[in-house]
Amino acid sequence: MLLNVLRSIRFSSIARHPLFSRFNSIATSKKMRDVKVKATSKSTHEDEEVEILQSRENEISSPLSVKSTPEIEKKYVHKVYDAIAPHFSSTRFAKWPKVAAFLDSLPSGSVVLDAGCGNGKYLGLNPSCFFIGCDISNPLIKICSDKGQEVLVADAVNLPYREGFGDAAISIAVLHHLSTENRRKSAIEELVRVVKPGGFVLITVWAAEQEDKSLLTKWTPLSPKYVEEWVGPGSPINSPRVRNNPFFGLESIPETEVSIKEKKTEISPSFGLESIPETEESTREQKSESIPETKDGLGEQKDENSVEELLEAMKMNQQEYFVPWHLPYHRAEVSGASASALASGLAKKDDRKGAVVYNRYYHVFSEGELERLASGVDNAVIVDKFYDKSNWCIVLQKAKP
Amino acid sequence: MRLIVHNMLTCNIKGVINKFPLRIEAEKVIKKEVDFNPDFLRHMLAKIEWKALVDGARSMGYTELPDHAPDTERVESDESFLKKFHHALLELHLEEGSLVCQETGRKFPVDKGVPNMVLREDEV
Repeated sequence: MLLNVLRSIRFSSIARHPLFSRFNSIATSKKMRDVKVKATSKSTHEDEEVEILQSRENEISSPLSVKSTPEIEKKYVHKVYDAIAPHFSSTRFAKWPKVAAFLDSLPSGSVVLDAGCGNGKYLGLNPSCFFIGCDISNPLIKICSDKGQEVLVADAVNLPYREGFGDAAISIAVLHHLSTENRRKSAIEELVRVVKPGGFVLITVWAAEQEDKSLLTKWTPLSPKYVEEWVGPGSPINSPRVRNNPFFGLESIPETEVSIKEKKTEISPSFGLESIPETEESTREQKSESIPETKDGLGEQKDENSVEELLEAMKMNQQEYFVPWHLPYHRAEVSGASASALASGLAKKDDRKGAVVYNRYYHVFSEGELERLASGVDNAVIVDKFYDKSNWCIVLQKAKP
Repeated sequence: MRLIVHNMLTCNIKGVINKFPLRIEAEKVIKKEVDFNPDFLRHMLAKIEWKALVDGARSMGYTELPDHAPDTERVESDESFLKKFHHALLELHLEEGSLVCQETGRKFPVDKGVPNMVLREDEV
């Protein structure tokens, strides 16, 4: 088939990683460990939030177009992926069956547009189709082009494509990196715009409702004050019901097996990457077993736990997070971005884990949210929607004239 | 970048009306053979802006394309046309050069075959 041949063509220069070849990993991991970072690196997430709030205020006073990239995305999405690209790509190999099924269902010869293609994992998955991928990250796109894929650097909120060219489009684990509802909606509108009438669009995003709740303890929720300033009024976390009722949500807290008091919850080693699409970076780290604690009913410890339960409830409405990415020192050497990230406080060192820790910004989607956003797109209808492996997924079809 | 992609690309600078097609300034073009697939080509013919393809191909040094594509009925049997279409659409790669907005003159660089279409703050 067409794409088999295309894929079998190798560039005359083998894909090189010139950055890697220049360093001796032993010498440099020692060097990274020795790097002293200024006291400012101890800044808490509160400090980071203050910074973001300030730049958000600046953005509000001179109103930004929905197509402008907010500071939080520049710092905690774009810069991070640029810095971690090769390591990130090495952990992104499991093909999610639901995406594969969608792509395999497309007619032979379909032009498929992948907006936010990352390391190009899905490009060419159906060999009878022609894939065109784009991503905001130049380093990730380079990984794709080294594989011979047809790609470009572009912004998913403002696709440089004329209308109706694609037969189908996919957006896999992308929209949760957009920090405002308007941008998320714009990205959906773009996906619909660039496909032909009758064309299908598959969108997947991380769910607030994670199957592995212990994961949430590794994420840093952005504070309610942040949410109020950043997300705006109307966020469920600001509802009077939450604010006035200390026991809000008691009835809605599911009986979880994981206590919120746990500090060091690790993913069990039996989890393969295949079962966690994109939620954690690597299973190669040392993991300890999580110790489940059951709650004996709500009555007995009510007073002690009420604050914790409120926090738990608020956490359940929490959708804005920093999710860490641990870039091992020997990987960080090869990316000059890490040195400057540490210097500017964008990333921190974890000597114990031997990694530079970056934070990625996520707006995780609550049940029905993706559907609601997509319903607002006039010329498309929802033809499928499902929850799979902690992701909310939707398939849209563009209206025919 | 192949011409199949170029045929889709637009300049999204705010306020620009004449956003397509982008003019190609070619510095380095390479050719890579690809299996001939007439079904795919017929599928693509309906999508392609023909003049943009012809001009793009010319900029990359290929002048064999006719000024107009034959009618859809005749295309079926016109293998010589399909071969030229195939070559222009899929076998020419712009490795180094620029894609230029016809209205503003803004150049989008193509580096190692990859166009960078991301706009600056002031263009959005």
